[in-house]
Amino acid sequence: MAIIEQPVTTGGIALAAPVTPTKAQGGFRRPVSTTGWKSWLFTVDHKKLGIMYGVMAMFFFLLGGIEAVMIRMQLAAPNGKVLSASVYNQMFTMHATTMVFLFVMPMAAAFANYFVPLQIGARDVAFPRMNAFGFWCILGGGIFINLSWFLGGAADGGWFMYAPNSGPIFSPSHGIDFWTLGLQIAGIASLTGAINLIVTVLNMRAPGMSLMKMPVFTWLTLVVQFLLLFAVPVITVALFLLSFQRNFGATFFDVSAGADPLLWQHLFWIFGHPEVYILILPSFGIISEVLPVFAKKPLFGYPFVVFSGAAIGFVGWGVWAHHMFASGLGPVSVAVFSISTMAIAIPTGVKIVNWTLTLWGGKLRFTAAMHFAIGLIVLFTIGGLSGVTHSVAPSDTQQTDTYYIVAHFHYVLFGGAVFGLFSGFYYWWPKMFGKTLNEKLGKVNFWFMVIGMNMTFGPMHILGLQGQPRRMYQWTEARAGEGFFNLAFWNRIASIGSLVLSFGILLFLINVVKTSRSKERAPLDPWDARTLEWMTSSPPKEHNFDVIPTVHHLDEFFHRKYEQDPVTHEYKQIATAEEILADQEAHADKHIHMPSPSYWPIVLAASLPVIMIGVIYSIPVAILGGIFTVLAMFGWALEPSTAPESDFDPPASGESTKELAPLV
Amino acid sequence: MSTKIRRITAGISGLAATAFLASCAKNAPQDTWQPKGSNARTIDNLQEPVFAIAGVIGVIVLCVVVYCVIKFRDRGQAMPEQTHGKPALEIGMTILPALILAGVGVFTFRTVFELAKTSDTQMVVNVTGQQWWWEYDYPAQVELGITKPIITSGQMIIPVGTKVLLRETSRDVIHSYWIPALNGKRDAVPGRVQTLRIDADKPGIYAGQCTEFCGLSHANMRMETVALSKEDFAAWVANQLTDAKSPADKTLAKEGEGVFLNQCVRCHQVNGLKKADGTPAIAAPDENVWAGAAPNLTHLMSRNTFAGASWDLLSQKCRADVWGASSETVGKKYLAGVSEACLNQTDLRRWLRNAPAMKPMYSDPTKLTPTNGKYRGMPNLGLTEDDIDKLVAYLSTLK
Repeated sequence: MAIIEQPVTTGGIALAAPVTPTKAQGGFRRPVSTTGWKSWLFTVDHKKLGIMYGVMAMFFFLLGGIEAVMIRMQLAAPNGKVLSASVYNQMFTMHATTMVFLFVMPMAAAFANYFVPLQIGARDVAFPRMNAFGFWCILGGGIFINLSWFLGGAADGGWFMYAPNSGPIFSPSHGIDFWTLGLQIAGIASLTGAINLIVTVLNMRAPGMSLMKMPVFTWLTLVVQFLLLFAVPVITVALFLLSFQRNFGATFFDVSAGADPLLWQHLFWIFGHPEVYILILPSFGIISEVLPVFAKKPLFGYPFVVFSGAAIGFVGWGVWAHHMFASGLGPVSVAVFSISTMAIAIPTGVKIVNWTLTLWGGKLRFTAAMHFAIGLIVLFTIGGLSGVTHSVAPSDTQQTDTYYIVAHFHYVLFGGAVFGLFSGFYYWWPKMFGKTLNEKLGKVNFWFMVIGMNMTFGPMHILGLQGQPRRMYQWTEARAGEGFFNLAFWNRIASIGSLVLSFGILLFLINVVKTSRSKERAPLDPWDARTLEWMTSSPPKEHNFDVIPTVHHLDEFFHRKYEQDPVTHEYKQIATAEEILADQEAHADKHIHMPSPSYWPIVLAASLPVIMIGVIYSIPVAILGGIFTVLAMFGWALEPSTAPESDFDPPASGESTKELAPLV
Repeated sequence: MSTKIRRITAGISGLAATAFLASCAKNAPQDTWQPKGSNARTIDNLQEPVFAIAGVIGVIVLCVVVYCVIKFRDRGQAMPEQTHGKPALEIGMTILPALILAGVGVFTFRTVFELAKTSDTQMVVNVTGQQWWWEYDYPAQVELGITKPIITSGQMIIPVGTKVLLRETSRDVIHSYWIPALNGKRDAVPGRVQTLRIDADKPGIYAGQCTEFCGLSHANMRMETVALSKEDFAAWVANQLTDAKSPADKTLAKEGEGVFLNQCVRCHQVNGLKKADGTPAIAAPDENVWAGAAPNLTHLMSRNTFAGASWDLLSQKCRADVWGASSETVGKKYLAGVSEACLNQTDLRRWLRNAPAMKPMYSDPTKLTPTNGKYRGMPNLGLTEDDIDKLVAYLSTLK
């Protein structure tokens, strides 16, 4: 099979390039490495970037997890002394920031990057260099925010960063400056990623794949990208206002200058509530792939799941003020937002019904991925229902800012988003790395996580309803009540639970290490899957598909493998994955054009933290960073579309199968 | 089968509810499920059925999922029918929750407006939050015996059965006033005045806590609302209207007054306190503290907590006696204030020795550039043990 092969490197992924590369302008050449660290640093391959997003997100997951455990250790006993008040406030601020912006979002981006092109039968995303730029931005932003730990203390205003407490008077350290400016950089990643994936999904689907034949993961990812596209600009504006207030003496939230601090709350939550759906919908998408595969049934009510996802995407914009029921909005606003919040429970409920009915009458195989998916249904339902209890605004005025809310959103985000992501790990690992994660260990991993999570967050319902507020660095026995099951007891259980949960996550890491050392290759189609990403080799070739598949059905891959007997109505297998792949390889496309790697995404992304450092410490440095940015943009623009042929290594002997494709 | 599922669901719901209730703390002071006033009860009447409905739905989903997991496990059965859904069922399952929520919505709507009413107010208290304590300012309300404004902090006193309207604001960042037994919370936002209704059925001490994150010592910003019978309330008002009396000459307390005039009066007002030259000693917290206020200490020992209501002025035994008193006796016990025998000397002295060590505050004199040298909270005054003895003696006289 001879396809793209730009001069070959042994064993690595080969690159394609047009036969007539444009002449390189001055020093602006394109990198050509296909192996080694350079192939990662300068890559524009959506799969490599997906893995890089994943590794980065996992790192921050562990960091945020350590922060969480420290919080629980502080609260294990009354008048905790593990952390000081100041460090505790930094800890919970950074825990939330890390988990939301640096774990769940990039982890969802990892899956979206890796699997959306594969699921729609595309060879890459629409804007590969922009994709790489996005990754380096979020990595840079994440590191930048966390630098503050070593430079006078991290942000201490809570992830919601309410004004005026976030102002320079009330938070004099540079923590919030790092937080604000770092999030601006990370926000660029979300925005470019959103544009990229929207264009990719709308323009690059395989022939025949109408929108209603698209896999649900891709659908919900598309919804998320629209949410990002509109939500990120709002937080960007808010962060700009805050930066100017802190660094240049502006008074946007300064009451004495006539400002209203509620402005910040509105801006933050108009972003912040869609953000909640940005965090959860990718996981909904993942389990909407996993459940049908392991139930051997199509997703029940596919159009309902899709449209309820889109409905969440719309209604999600009309509920932000439910975070502000105690802020004093007046009864009309409170009542309206209360009702709209109840309304959003309906499309969410539709999803739960559909997942459950997907199980109904199925042929269920309880793999680790399936465990996490079913875990999500149950745990998210608990979180969703507790959400309904505080959509009732009067009830919320008792519950808001107590541990009940902490319980609620951890059921939604841990039981929901994180369980979905773990389901995705176990489901897609063989596709990404060609090896299956150990299933037995995976199930132990699941049970530790599910028990740990319920031990940690379950008691918080009681803690909150019995009056323990959030964000307190210490609690006191005087308010803990009496009896064996007093609040001290539940605080202790929650802290022990956090250790059980941590152990569960440790098991996952052990599983990853164990699997990477194992020599055993995963079968081509280990789960008898239904969608296009399984219709290629594992891991996929750089160009994903030898032949761009033509799609006739929802669950195209399933329909290529199985056929219904018109008489008995029974399904019988007509082809195996291996046969389908062999057939593709036999008919491989002759001309495949793949994007070349580029130096500029990482260079341009690296210039942004320089500007931000300058904003905090010294304006000339910011100007220098700005110049650096503009130069990097020129480099980006003037770069030839591919490297000249002479830049490539000569083909290894006997392997030269160079067949260059003209620019399409 | 459906009857069976229904029975199982009912059984599990009941069991879950019982288990949940049995696993709660007894007498938690900030329990949101123990309303002690009409507003909290209005909320409770709404939230109890909502929780019940949510609970039942949760149990149903759980039961169905568990049923599927057991019933449809892969036992080598044939490939299931590749059904893509049943639109009628789908639409039904969309309309059903919509109807339930519409019902909940109607009651929510009514309750929201009911709780926002201010037309039936019988008494007003201005409540002001600042880092990290609450100030209560009672405007003159002659019909309640309040002939001139009363200013106090930490513990707010209200008469039972009276609809009190709190007018909340803040002097620095956003705080939130929350006494769970009496009502939900309402944020105190600088630059705004927002209202919250409270009333209490019976005399008692109702605990609360600031619930909007307000910086470093957010955890140490607590408060109580104390409801007294109408007679007891009148007695409290009468006492609050009096000025502090200067201690007798040549007592330790008199020397303490000197220390107070020397140190504390920079921020803390004591009504009736006179300087050595006989002129009134007027506190100037606005020159020293960012928020521009410090607790008025005229009747310090009439309250039984201090420093943002985070520490007790009563020793443990006396506290248990007052806080644990029945609604019939709590008024008298509360009004007795803090006697010298009952004073929690340990914490008060610790506070006077080094306040920021006890409650984290921004009061390091070398780090006050952002606030132009003003403190946020109380600094370490560097008092000698001798001074502390005197001050404690003086403060004990502020009944």
